[in-house]
Amino acid sequence: MGSAKIANGRRYPLRLSKIERQDALVGFLFITPFIILYLIFNFVPILQGFWISLHNWDVIGTNIKFVGLRNYEILFGKDKLFWSSLEHTLFFAVLAGPGLIITGLALALMLNQRARGIGIFRTVFYMPNILSVTVVGLVFARVFAPGERGFVNAILDSLGVSMGSWFLDEASAMPTIAITKVWWSVGFNMLIFLAGLQDIPQALYDAAKVDGGGRWALFRHVTLPGLRRPMLFVIVLQAIASVQVFPLIDVLTGGGPAGSTRPLVMYLFERSFDYWQLGYGSAIAFVLFVFLFSISIFQLWFFSRGEVD
Amino acid sequence: MEAVPSIERLSMRQAQSQRQQTRRSFFIIAAMTLFAFVWLVPIVWTLSLSFRPEHSITANLTLLLPLPFTAENYDFVFSSSRIPRWFVNSLIVASLRTFLQLMICSLAAYSFARVKFPFRQYIFYFVLIGLMVPGQATFIPVYLLFSNLKLLNSFPALILPGLASPFAVFLLVQFFKGIPIELEEAARLDGASRIGVYFRIFLPLSTPVLTALAIFTFLGTWNEYLWPLVAATDPDIMTITIGLNNLTATTYQANYGQTMAAAWTAGLPIVIFFFIFQKRIISGIQISSGIK
Repeated sequence: MGSAKIANGRRYPLRLSKIERQDALVGFLFITPFIILYLIFNFVPILQGFWISLHNWDVIGTNIKFVGLRNYEILFGKDKLFWSSLEHTLFFAVLAGPGLIITGLALALMLNQRARGIGIFRTVFYMPNILSVTVVGLVFARVFAPGERGFVNAILDSLGVSMGSWFLDEASAMPTIAITKVWWSVGFNMLIFLAGLQDIPQALYDAAKVDGGGRWALFRHVTLPGLRRPMLFVIVLQAIASVQVFPLIDVLTGGGPAGSTRPLVMYLFERSFDYWQLGYGSAIAFVLFVFLFSISIFQLWFFSRGEVD
Repeated sequence: MEAVPSIERLSMRQAQSQRQQTRRSFFIIAAMTLFAFVWLVPIVWTLSLSFRPEHSITANLTLLLPLPFTAENYDFVFSSSRIPRWFVNSLIVASLRTFLQLMICSLAAYSFARVKFPFRQYIFYFVLIGLMVPGQATFIPVYLLFSNLKLLNSFPALILPGLASPFAVFLLVQFFKGIPIELEEAARLDGASRIGVYFRIFLPLSTPVLTALAIFTFLGTWNEYLWPLVAATDPDIMTITIGLNNLTATTYQANYGQTMAAAWTAGLPIVIFFFIFQKRIISGIQISSGIK
């Protein structure tokens, strides 16, 4: 406003006018509360966590010794529990991911039509999403309870099918967790896909129909390409959420039976807050951070690339 | 005369395809109804369990109706547990965090979007890095911080860590940038201060996005599991999500009616909240995902 301008319209930056000085002050003042909290609770803890991971930091504040990268050596070198928890995490991602995406897309395709009362279905499928993990855990512990006290088992039994042990059997525990996860959060994906579907111009469909495209051709050449962005969004979000999986497994199986469903974050928590090995826990946390940071960078790169073409 | 039959045939074909269309959407609706029913069964079943006496549950497990009806499970839960207390704790934590987060983040967002100050762009990028930092990676240092301050098991410990939300800032900056600059300039010419512009123009004009954010923060805090699990170990300060987990893991395990009464005491208010705000929640997801 009051600043000197040079011919090409850019501000002359050397001396600030009174208004600009005032703006600078106000600008800093307005971001101060946010920045202070952001530094204390988001940014500094990452650096601090890395620093702690370079130590043997057993039982809060008493036994602290600098050990360099030793925690990472143990972690990657000989910690079988770390590798198995990583495996369980990936297993969960592979089971739940496709289920969440395919079911979400199918629901969205069915709901993407103009019919009276269709909104009620949207509400029904989304609703489980707002329940807390504890409630979902308590409900599904009964739905899939072993023996005749479980809802699914009671139904199977009355149909003459043999009953399952669900969460109590190593073979079925993780798939049952994945089913619970799909029930709980597929509604979110459905909403994202629905929004994407509504953004595909009807003209594209009309044009493809004129060209004699059948139902499958329409889906394959108009719908799927049109859903590129929501699809990527959902996949990346799912990948991030899968790497972080822990509360749901904690309430359903507690990592059991025999540690066969223990995910990475649960292992991080056990090391840190059950065994109080904060140095070792921080090393796991830092690995997790690098992992998720990489996924996010990939996402950023992919989406900004999409913006250009 | 040639044209008439062809038009007739055309309209006939149109009617036929319309019929086909109607039949198809009838089948879809029927399939959806079945599917929706299956989806609701876990909720309906456990909700009715919570209103049934235990002996009747044992006799007929899969009944979906609350018969014979009794409220004694709820009576028991309210009189024998700290659930009412946890409920109030959750309300306090979720409301305060939502309100403070919106104030702090919208003020910062206004500054990033509209006030010119040195290094603005770089500081904004620095904030965006926070979008990629997962909570689990920061827990140990934050835990140590509160532990050193002797503030574990306190409301500040439950509220403060979630206040600086890079996502909220990011979303609000996008939104604020879309508010016409003329509105602001006019108000400034009339002598309004920056803070006045923020309160009287930016906040009122962004009600939809602020409401969406508020709902998500509230729900997210109410349902938060990880941080309260380590920060609130004293039963008096627990939120309902954690307290419930604790209670049912130890006390009510075997009793279906009581367990479910406890679960739905925690869950039902959220379900009701959802039905009140469902339009805003659903459009809020679509707004904040950037898809729509």
